[in-house]
Amino acid sequence: MSSDNGRAVKQRSRNGVSAAAPAPAPAGGNVSARRSAGRMFTVVSWIVLVGFAALWIIPSLWAIKTSLTPNSVSAVGAGPILRNWNLTIDSYRTLLNGGNIWNWYLASVVTSVVTVALTILFASMTAYALSRLRFRGRHLVFLLMIAGIMVPAQVLIVPIFQELNAFGLLNTYWAVILPQVPAVIAVFVFKQFFDGLPQAFEESALIDGAGYWRIYWSIVMPMSRPVIGAMSIVTFVGVWNNLILPLFVLSNPNLMTIPVGLATVQGSYGQQLSDIQASSILGALPLVVLFLIFQKRIVEGVAGTGLKG
Amino acid sequence: MFVAPFGIFYLVFLIWPVVYMFITSLFDTSLVKHGFGPFAGFANYREMLTKPEFWSAMWHTIQFTLYTVPPLVVLAFVFAVLANRIGGRSEWLFRLAFFVPFILPSATIALIWSFIYTPSTGLWNSFQKLLGAADPAPVLGTPDLAMVGIAVTTVWWTIGFNFILYLAGLQDIPRELYEAAAVDGASQWQQIRSITIPLLSRTTTLVLLLQIIASLKIFDQVYLMTAGGPGISTQVVLGLVTTTAFTDYRVGAAAAASVLLFIVILAITVVRPLIERIQQRREA
Amino acid sequence: MASDRSKMSAGLSRRSFLGGLGVAALGATTGCSVLGAGVAGTEVAPGTVTYWNLFGGGDGARMLVMEDAYRAGPGSPKLQAATFTWGNPYYTKLSLATIGQVPPDVAISHLTRSANLARAGLISEITEETLGMVGLSPGDFSEKAWKAQQLDGKNYAIPLDTHPFVLYYNAEVCEKAGLLDSAGNLKPINGTKGWEAALSAAKQVTGAYGASVATIGDQATSWRWFQTLYQQHEGATPWLADTGRTLSYNREITLDTLAYIQSLTKKGLMPADTDYAGSQTLMFTGKSGFYLQGEWEITTAQSIKGLKFGMVPVPTLFDRPAAQGDSHTFVLPARSRTDEQLRRAMGFVKSMLDQSLTWAKGGHIPAYLPTLHSQAYKELSPQSNYASAADTVVYDAPAWYSGSGSTFENIVGAQIGLVQQGLASPQAALARARSQLLTYANTPSPL
Repeated sequence: MSSDNGRAVKQRSRNGVSAAAPAPAPAGGNVSARRSAGRMFTVVSWIVLVGFAALWIIPSLWAIKTSLTPNSVSAVGAGPILRNWNLTIDSYRTLLNGGNIWNWYLASVVTSVVTVALTILFASMTAYALSRLRFRGRHLVFLLMIAGIMVPAQVLIVPIFQELNAFGLLNTYWAVILPQVPAVIAVFVFKQFFDGLPQAFEESALIDGAGYWRIYWSIVMPMSRPVIGAMSIVTFVGVWNNLILPLFVLSNPNLMTIPVGLATVQGSYGQQLSDIQASSILGALPLVVLFLIFQKRIVEGVAGTGLKG
Repeated sequence: MFVAPFGIFYLVFLIWPVVYMFITSLFDTSLVKHGFGPFAGFANYREMLTKPEFWSAMWHTIQFTLYTVPPLVVLAFVFAVLANRIGGRSEWLFRLAFFVPFILPSATIALIWSFIYTPSTGLWNSFQKLLGAADPAPVLGTPDLAMVGIAVTTVWWTIGFNFILYLAGLQDIPRELYEAAAVDGASQWQQIRSITIPLLSRTTTLVLLLQIIASLKIFDQVYLMTAGGPGISTQVVLGLVTTTAFTDYRVGAAAAASVLLFIVILAITVVRPLIERIQQRREA
Repeated sequence: MASDRSKMSAGLSRRSFLGGLGVAALGATTGCSVLGAGVAGTEVAPGTVTYWNLFGGGDGARMLVMEDAYRAGPGSPKLQAATFTWGNPYYTKLSLATIGQVPPDVAISHLTRSANLARAGLISEITEETLGMVGLSPGDFSEKAWKAQQLDGKNYAIPLDTHPFVLYYNAEVCEKAGLLDSAGNLKPINGTKGWEAALSAAKQVTGAYGASVATIGDQATSWRWFQTLYQQHEGATPWLADTGRTLSYNREITLDTLAYIQSLTKKGLMPADTDYAGSQTLMFTGKSGFYLQGEWEITTAQSIKGLKFGMVPVPTLFDRPAAQGDSHTFVLPARSRTDEQLRRAMGFVKSMLDQSLTWAKGGHIPAYLPTLHSQAYKELSPQSNYASAADTVVYDAPAWYSGSGSTFENIVGAQIGLVQQGLASPQAALARARSQLLTYANTPSPL
């Protein structure tokens, strides 16, 4: 664990700084030949990368194009979709007027936001305790956390369903929120961050008679903004995209989150391909917007949790 | 005090379900009846371990892992090294292309790709026809192809994650090393072989293990794209678990299957620190 | 909002638990019923009839028309309808919603699935008194369907229709192939010889296939096609007996039937690789003379401009007429209901039954006798041409894992599909289906 600490901190400090330009050509040797080889390499890199990037973008473009094509055309097949350029937003209009999608957005927003708030608050509190307080049973808690990180939540879907049923929580947003709150990974990320914070402020505050709670709330948390931001977004994306849990604990179409709604509820007119693609894009849209705004934080967060997950 | 709120959630929604899963797996618990039902001993485990469907689901899970892990690791490495070399402002473009799919919901991914795979009139089959194939096989409808189709979708979807991990790892490599190698006359390829690959070996181990664990937990793509079909030719363990519990109402049997998957994942998770320790020792 | 919560059907445990979380107030003050339901577990849509079904395609379109007619009715309560993916996913959702205490007021169930739902305690008994609330009685329904839905002498499902597997034909192709009589109707086809002759003649005209049926990605259709031919054999026993604990199919007839199905695709009379939509398109576009599917695809066929088609019962290729089929029924998912809620739910069912003619236009043979015996239905063509098939419909054998879209159909249908595609021999396919089914047969019913 400890060896990773330095790593993560170093990496955080470097992240966002885009990679430096290719190594400057050294003095001596056959400079021009090597320089041209380097240039060749860059050109090849460009070609390969742009090729793959194009390959990676095609499916999304295809979905967007289809969603803007009339249903009657998309029903016929790929060729006609490609040839027809009478773009229409009818599919989006149908969906947004339909009502269901707004309920799904509501469910996704409520469950994601509440889960993020609870996770961040509780995980950072625990991390603070583990990082700063010398309480009894601290080692036991720490060991339990390490054990918890190994538990794959998806595998627990059956007992969690049974448990939520016993609590009478099925088909409420709580059924999606509560089981996702104990994200052990968040505790570790916070603990690492806290461990790396200078303690001088806190110590002087302690001498001034401030309680741990006040130190946590008014000193530590404000200093943790970057990590709070990164963890919030990563958690948000994770909860928004979760399928297996809401799929089985939310069965009422009014209460479903976006992914579950997309996966289970059909338009009564059957296979309206353009509508289906439009709905899939509507389901993804909030996340794309989020990505465009918080690109740096998301990438940092993912790199950070990935290194620990 | 500080630990209590998280601790309660942790016990109720992580620890207790694990215990509960073990207990339930020993009973013939039914979803539609109250209580645990009759005690079954290890009958549920015996059933799972002897029935072909379980092993077939286990095999499909492993098959999925075999199909997805190599491209996800190799391609992500290549993309990251090239993007890092090109560097500069263009990096955001590749991040956009490779990483954005990763943050999209699996439902969106599945809808897009099922549409691409539509038999005969879909994008992929039309493309094959354009190249002269008379009657291209429907990807998700052909037993041997369906898992490949799911794997391609998954590589497209999740490569961004490994891409980002490798990019982060690359930024940890001091530039001076490359400069020194260049002074010694090492070509670009030699630099990658002798500096980048060895120095990224820890990232690679990490990516590999994360990827294997993620693959073992495959559920979304299969549920959404083939529902385990055609027949049971793409059914995976987690799919078997949910079908057994929620469609067949057999919670006890499903719990037994969960426990078995749980053990496999746990075993691999435990292996990870071991490998890391070995690597550290070798580096030291 | 407060009064809604007092009516809430959920148990005390939920209310007190949520109260403990101190969030009930939040749900009540937002004034938004969905948010309230999600946060505080209040009724999602008070005063509304909620109705779930699994109708896609033409059925879905038809059902929308009927729902709109219900909404337009004087004094109708509000209606919220939802459609889910057909088959097991739908029944799983319905079960989980009922277990989770927010089932719909009314749901569609296949007749072959309703007994399992009843045994699981997931649907409520429908007494004659309940029927009487909206002026219905058992005598209003076709006898075969009504008897089939009974379990231990109690009623659980109100049949809406009977839907056999039927034969569609492209009139233009058949005309050119000389398969129509002077009135433009399909000449009777009898026996395998007659069938193959008709298919060959049609193939000559189309240049592609004689008849089409889905072989890929659709286990249910493969099962329907197989079961239809299997049951046409004298001595064909039901596939399952003893409520699913034993496999009772006739091995010889099964293998013969599978081999026959395979021979049709091997000879190129029928396509080996086509999915549900593809098999339709072949007939619609004149690349196939015949098309086999449930009668519900009539709506899709009618929507194809310029297509002239007809429908008849599946010809008797072997010893006796038979066709795989099922019935759609209305069920009342188990929940505590006030009399008012029950009346609302039954009022919706009655309105749907009254619109049986609209439903029949979508191909289904009405189970509601006032419609079945009406002049208007008799004048429906081609719908009434195959009404007789309702009498020879064979329902899937009862078992906790059987019924339309069930695990049973998935297991057997998948193997039949492989036989159709020529990817498995009849023997190998049957052996695989058998081994998979045995797991279920040997498992005590969880119901």
